[in-house]
Amino acid sequence: MRPSPTRRLAGLGAFVLAVIMLTAIVELFPNTVVGAAIGGALATAGSILGIMDSAYAASALRLSVPIAFAALGGIFAERSGVINIGLEGLLILSAFTGVAVAHWLTGDGTTAVGPGIVLLLVIAVLLAVAGALLGLLGDTTGEIAVRAGGGVLATAALAGLTVALAGPTLAATWLAFYTAVLVSTAFALLFAVVTIEYRADQVIAGLAVWLIALGVAPFASNVIWGAVNSPGVDTLGTWTVPGLSELPVLGTVLFNAGPVVYFLLLATPLSWYVLAHTSFGYWVRASGENPKALDTAGVDVRRVRYAAVLLSGVFSGIGGAGLSLGRVGSFVGSGTTMIDGRGWIGITAMLFGNYNPFGAFGASLLFAALDALQFRLQQLNYAVPDSLMQTVPYVTVIIVLALVGRTRTPDAAGEHYESDED
Amino acid sequence: MSAPAVDLRQITKQFPGVLANDEVDLTVERGSVHALLGENGAGKTTLMNVLYGLYRPTGGTVVIDGEPRTFDSPRDAIDAGIGMIHQHFMLVEPMTVTQNIVLGNEPQKWGGLAVDRERAREAVAELADRYGFDVDPTATVEDLSVGEQQRIEILKALYRGADVLILDEPTAVLTPQEVEELFGVFDELTEAGKTIIFISHKLSEVTTAADAVTVLRDGKDVGTVDADSVTDTELAELMVGREVLFDTDKPPVELGDIGLATRDLVVEDDRGVRAVDGVDLQVAEGEVFGIAGVDGNGQSELVDALTGMATPAAGQVFLGNEDVTHAPRRQRIDDGMAYVPEDRQARGLVMSYDLTENGLLGSQRDPQFASSGRIRWDDAETHADDIIEEYDVRPADADAAAHSLSGGNQQKFIVGREFARDPDAVVASHPTRGVDVGSVEFIHDQLLGLREEGTAVLLVSSKLDEVRGLSDRLGVMHDGELVDVVDPEEITEEELGLLMAGERPPDVPKATRRVGGEAQ
Repeated sequence: MRPSPTRRLAGLGAFVLAVIMLTAIVELFPNTVVGAAIGGALATAGSILGIMDSAYAASALRLSVPIAFAALGGIFAERSGVINIGLEGLLILSAFTGVAVAHWLTGDGTTAVGPGIVLLLVIAVLLAVAGALLGLLGDTTGEIAVRAGGGVLATAALAGLTVALAGPTLAATWLAFYTAVLVSTAFALLFAVVTIEYRADQVIAGLAVWLIALGVAPFASNVIWGAVNSPGVDTLGTWTVPGLSELPVLGTVLFNAGPVVYFLLLATPLSWYVLAHTSFGYWVRASGENPKALDTAGVDVRRVRYAAVLLSGVFSGIGGAGLSLGRVGSFVGSGTTMIDGRGWIGITAMLFGNYNPFGAFGASLLFAALDALQFRLQQLNYAVPDSLMQTVPYVTVIIVLALVGRTRTPDAAGEHYESDED
Repeated sequence: MSAPAVDLRQITKQFPGVLANDEVDLTVERGSVHALLGENGAGKTTLMNVLYGLYRPTGGTVVIDGEPRTFDSPRDAIDAGIGMIHQHFMLVEPMTVTQNIVLGNEPQKWGGLAVDRERAREAVAELADRYGFDVDPTATVEDLSVGEQQRIEILKALYRGADVLILDEPTAVLTPQEVEELFGVFDELTEAGKTIIFISHKLSEVTTAADAVTVLRDGKDVGTVDADSVTDTELAELMVGREVLFDTDKPPVELGDIGLATRDLVVEDDRGVRAVDGVDLQVAEGEVFGIAGVDGNGQSELVDALTGMATPAAGQVFLGNEDVTHAPRRQRIDDGMAYVPEDRQARGLVMSYDLTENGLLGSQRDPQFASSGRIRWDDAETHADDIIEEYDVRPADADAAAHSLSGGNQQKFIVGREFARDPDAVVASHPTRGVDVGSVEFIHDQLLGLREEGTAVLLVSSKLDEVRGLSDRLGVMHDGELVDVVDPEEITEEELGLLMAGERPPDVPKATRRVGGEAQ
């Protein structure tokens, strides 16, 4: 059930009409109470619109990073039939791991080459194992070896490239970032084993991931730093595209941003492409809609689901570490941690975007823009309670799900699948 | 002579507690259509699952083209050129025809970075063309009819290089026209050298479509016969192990008052189209009123309105003398209406419940099973056991989940549950769909027994023999209207066919029996 273009146009039209009518009322009855009230509201709206400049757009894009990555991860997992509501937990874990590793490597102001190399070796081994596991997706043993080797090569290439491009100091931060992604993925693997192998309830297991992360990250902070909040570490900085960053508006928004923002701008179309145009994408969709069809077509449903859940771990890792290392430069473990529900909003963005990467990205951007708006309003002394603003995504999603009803959940989402083997 | 395409030797399959196949032999010649006939639970599907690599046999050998094979998974069977079309289609509904057909074997481009859609579409179009299938490769599967979906399944198997096609009860979900088309497809396929094995429990289609028939009974094969020379009666005897009476005996019954009636009933479907358009009918107590018609002419919607599953847009529904047009399901059950639904899995049973729980459905507040909100499970289980015994439901285990039963046994259990309510009125929609011959006979007897007890029975069925054999009066529906009410014994099949097609042949024998009472 997709909304017709006419319906969307009608909505837009109604909005424009309402603004025109309100303006007309103010013009016609300037001295009445109604006129004054509406006039005041319009003036407020005007000053709010006034703050929506390019810096505002840039900050919205930045804020959308963890939300959108969580949403992309959720899309892969759920379209394959595994509801992953542990995204929030994966974001927390990777945000924490990123800062912890960065602090370990660079904490005393120097770059620790020794630990860095050890870490790199660990990553190489893990990637090789991951490559081998991915190779199991319907390939021959020869290819598994090739992929395992590919994992090692990829690590070496990544390390070399990072040091060459970022310099030794920043390379340590990048290494921390990679580790964070890996830890998030490892946790996603644990979730996958529990839900796919041992058929645990996906929602319960997902909640467990969140609750574990919510407890472990501040606890570990306390152990390492003696406080739930970490000291500051270097961030990944910004990548400025020469020339293009001079462009008006777009330059500020798109070409002078943190690396993770570029990753997001890449990951969104890439995810869409994978889902829509590759065999793996076909399999993910079939696995979430009718796993038995996929199974009888000779594709191992379990492996597809493993791969999809691992992807949700990778994406969440980029989102979480992208927040702590990419922007903030520390880990905040108090209360709901620095992630503060962004994983949950990611899930709502996924639903709002109807499991389409572009849709989810758009929804994330919308929710992030609301978040950014709240900061701006505070600066302008409009005291909008932030807890109220934070409910907006959820309220929106309830309205979207209940009234518009355009979200189509995969048929087999949440269901275990077992091959008919006796 | 070349080796047979498929040669199963002494296949035995033991499940915990059940011997599903007991030293079954099956030899299928290349290029032939071979039917596997048997009652529900005779082990037909198990045998085919062994051939398709879904089950590993406990004993025996699978020989394909003269070569003994061991299949660990369907993948191995597919590689050996075996394709299976399951009773419940294995299609991904939101995906296109092409995507479904190539799933798992997508042609690649750019070194595996993308599915080559162009090539996939061409391959599908070429395949469809070769076997004379009329399919649109770009259509979305959920928009297709059941018959079209089945052809997609066949194409899927062919795309994977299947030489031997196994079809599990392929006609169960098809309209008579689609069955014709399917048999046409069989001819095309065998001409191209393909071998077809299909599972069935319908005698007529076995003799029509197959070259040879192997009959299974209780997991054993009781013989392979030539389909051209065997008679229905002989086949039925092989299948059931005793003589089967096809003629139903209907003693005259004194008619009572109106048991079930509609007046100017209008029911709209989801799209707001009048699916039932002004139907007036009256079913007297002690009468079976049959509804014949091509599927999709408003029968389902009529049944929905009668049973309270849909609210009519206009008109009235009467149960006895009471206007129940807007009465909820609960009240209709309490007032003595039993309902055998068309779709047993969606409406008749909760598939994950065991039979005790399923037997309780609809009676969960009956003082017989519940007091002050608490269910007495012992009584519920006894009740389920009674149904199982009386209706010969297999496996005879009240703790078995509904989904572990075959379709026919599920159906028997539903019929048993509904008839056990001691109803005043019965609405039975395709009560013997998917049920084997022996059980059909039994269900028919039960229906007629209810009739003799003075129950009003409304029977909807797409099987003409059934509605003609059981009904006292036969209504024909076309395009939402009750075009005529005829005498089922006098009317010819041709006349009935014309009526079902919406035409009005002259001098149709009208139903003469008058209803005892008058509707309000």
